[in-house]
Amino acid sequence: MTRAKLPPWLLLLMPAFLILAAVVLVPLLLSLYSSFTPYHLTRPETLWKINFPFNYEKALTDLGFWKAFGRTVLLLTIALNLEMLLGLGLALMVSKVQRGQRTLRTMMMFPMMFSPILVGFMFKFIFNDNVGLVNNALQSMGLASTAIPWLVDGNLALFAIICAEVWMSTSVFAILILAGLYALPQDPLEAAKVDGCTPWQSFRYVTLPFLMPFIYIAMAIRSLDVARAYDIVQVMTGGGPAKRTELLWTMIGRTGYVDARMGYANAMGYIAILLSIAFTVYFFLKLQRARRELGMED
Amino acid sequence: MKNYAAGSVLALVAGLGFAPMAMAEGEFAGVTVEAKLIGGQQYEALYSRIADWEKATGAKVKIISQKNHFELDKEYKADIAAGTTGWCVGSNHSSFSSQYPALFTDLTPLLAADTIAAFVPSNISAATIDGKLAMLPRAQFDVSALYYQKSLYADPAKAEAWKAQTGKDLAPPETWDEFRDQAIFFADPPNFYGTQYAGKDEAINGRFYELVVANGGKMFNDDWTPAFNSPEGKEALQWFVDLYKAGAVPPGTTNYLWDDLGNGFASGTIALNLDWPGWSGFFNDPAASKVAGNVGVAPAPKGSAGIRTGWSGFHGFSITESCANKEAAASLVDFLTNEDSQKLESAAGPLPSRTAVWEYIIEQAKDDPYKSEVLAAFQETAKTAVPVPPTPYWIESGNLIFPELQAAILGDKTVDQALQDASDAVDELMRENGVY
Repeated sequence: MTRAKLPPWLLLLMPAFLILAAVVLVPLLLSLYSSFTPYHLTRPETLWKINFPFNYEKALTDLGFWKAFGRTVLLLTIALNLEMLLGLGLALMVSKVQRGQRTLRTMMMFPMMFSPILVGFMFKFIFNDNVGLVNNALQSMGLASTAIPWLVDGNLALFAIICAEVWMSTSVFAILILAGLYALPQDPLEAAKVDGCTPWQSFRYVTLPFLMPFIYIAMAIRSLDVARAYDIVQVMTGGGPAKRTELLWTMIGRTGYVDARMGYANAMGYIAILLSIAFTVYFFLKLQRARRELGMED
Repeated sequence: MKNYAAGSVLALVAGLGFAPMAMAEGEFAGVTVEAKLIGGQQYEALYSRIADWEKATGAKVKIISQKNHFELDKEYKADIAAGTTGWCVGSNHSSFSSQYPALFTDLTPLLAADTIAAFVPSNISAATIDGKLAMLPRAQFDVSALYYQKSLYADPAKAEAWKAQTGKDLAPPETWDEFRDQAIFFADPPNFYGTQYAGKDEAINGRFYELVVANGGKMFNDDWTPAFNSPEGKEALQWFVDLYKAGAVPPGTTNYLWDDLGNGFASGTIALNLDWPGWSGFFNDPAASKVAGNVGVAPAPKGSAGIRTGWSGFHGFSITESCANKEAAASLVDFLTNEDSQKLESAAGPLPSRTAVWEYIIEQAKDDPYKSEVLAAFQETAKTAVPVPPTPYWIESGNLIFPELQAAILGDKTVDQALQDASDAVDELMRENGVY
């Protein structure tokens, strides 16, 4: 009797499949399953009781959930665009520096080295209404006579959170765009110069299209980051006050770990993942288009 | 959450003499007791005594986790979910303990009756859930009293202005209405505020809860239906709203927690501050506080029903149901909460939970007017202190209530609307969980 042999390619891929299944697939399936149950952390028996589609219906009909969803999209849109513009500016400036460029590049990465929790505490202090740096500076310069409630007013709090996000992550864009600038072929730029293009025209019609694939890659990475923004927001405002800065993951984190309603939190999590998937697909489509326009292969 | 991580404290009592331990020599030789204990400077002095217990009993204590109570709470929930509850001794808190009905065992059969009788009866009653003594309190009892800047009350111009405004003499407030009026009177924003309050999480729920009780109301009915959407509840919430609208509190107060309040009062920019006993030393320490030497302490004011506010809580130790050697664990818990342990802990400021230790620290402090004033104020407030309602849904319902309280304070909703929405949400939570 001959033993059935697995084809070599499958055998070779098997360790990768097994590891992926253990660390990605199993937790994903388990959390998906628990989203169909009223699973409560302190009552393990609830994991075996199916209540589908209760959790999903509850999330989808909860106005608070959709407000948090909308606020997350808003934060994502503003933070990503600001980071892209600032990162592009930073990369363009650094690329022009003749001496000390390596030091500048290292310095540019400092904010990325900080833990988001630390960044949250730092900006919480900066924007504190009573002892914070911003209010004290504004009052000392005579620009404000009252304490501005930065972390209380809905718009100002979102602004403060965006400042923290931008401070920490603009360098992600800058580094990736800088890599693009280094890879930029000089011929088209020189041809543009010979043809009499202004510096703006060279940038707009030669440099920028070439950088777009790099920008879309940075956007795809950062959109995943921001869509699951938690640490900074949790430290700075905790999603409040009065849910004014509630984002999807502050809401989901509280529901899952503080309220211990893991089943419901997982259901919200799965709906929230759609947001990340939508943004990722959108940026990859844009990336493909940009590459096609540059004559690169898909 | 109450003073789980309150800052530094000054020794209230000095000169301790420890009695010999009442334990059989080597009675638990070879036993290892695994423990999950609250971490933090003010809690860890007690753990230095563990070596004495190990020496006396021959057992070993292995601390497998040391975190603040928020983190321990998450860890306990994860342990319950994963079934990893084989460890023995865990730090517990009266505000959290009702969430783990099956995790911890009843301590009554494990301890001598006179041991339990030596604790303050109201503490033992608050530590008892569904007839089970879930934890033995350590000397970390918390209730809030009123700290104030004495100089404000000694200023003749202020006294005259107050008299002209109200017809009354200016003295530390005895009711919450007086507290609000004085806070508005003293406020001079943005440089000086009349008061401040913790504005989120269980912190604001606790304050709201004690005001509701002080006004004669309650948070839940006997069948656990929400009862705070009542005239007493509305009066309580209106108190927070009035202060915020008048600008008598810092505009960021809805984001404040205990450390913000403690540091705020110590910065000298706050007139009146309802706060925990652990801060008393810090406030009067010239190296840490701008109001040192100018701090007065009075019992918590009374609500409209003539009841003093007294939301209280305390730390303690529990033993898991699945602990392999409950007798050894009980011996350790008994040791960590005995008179000597409580004298050691309360020497650094926190309040004890044993009657004899209360008497001891008052006697020890009699030559220090500030310490005596602090202890008198807290002892008076402790007399009528109330623990949080004993429901496993206290924290969960609180997470539904506090954003609504904030919405009313910030003017997003009226008081009526906010309490109605909070009540509806808590009602839905209770129904979903089959409470009624």
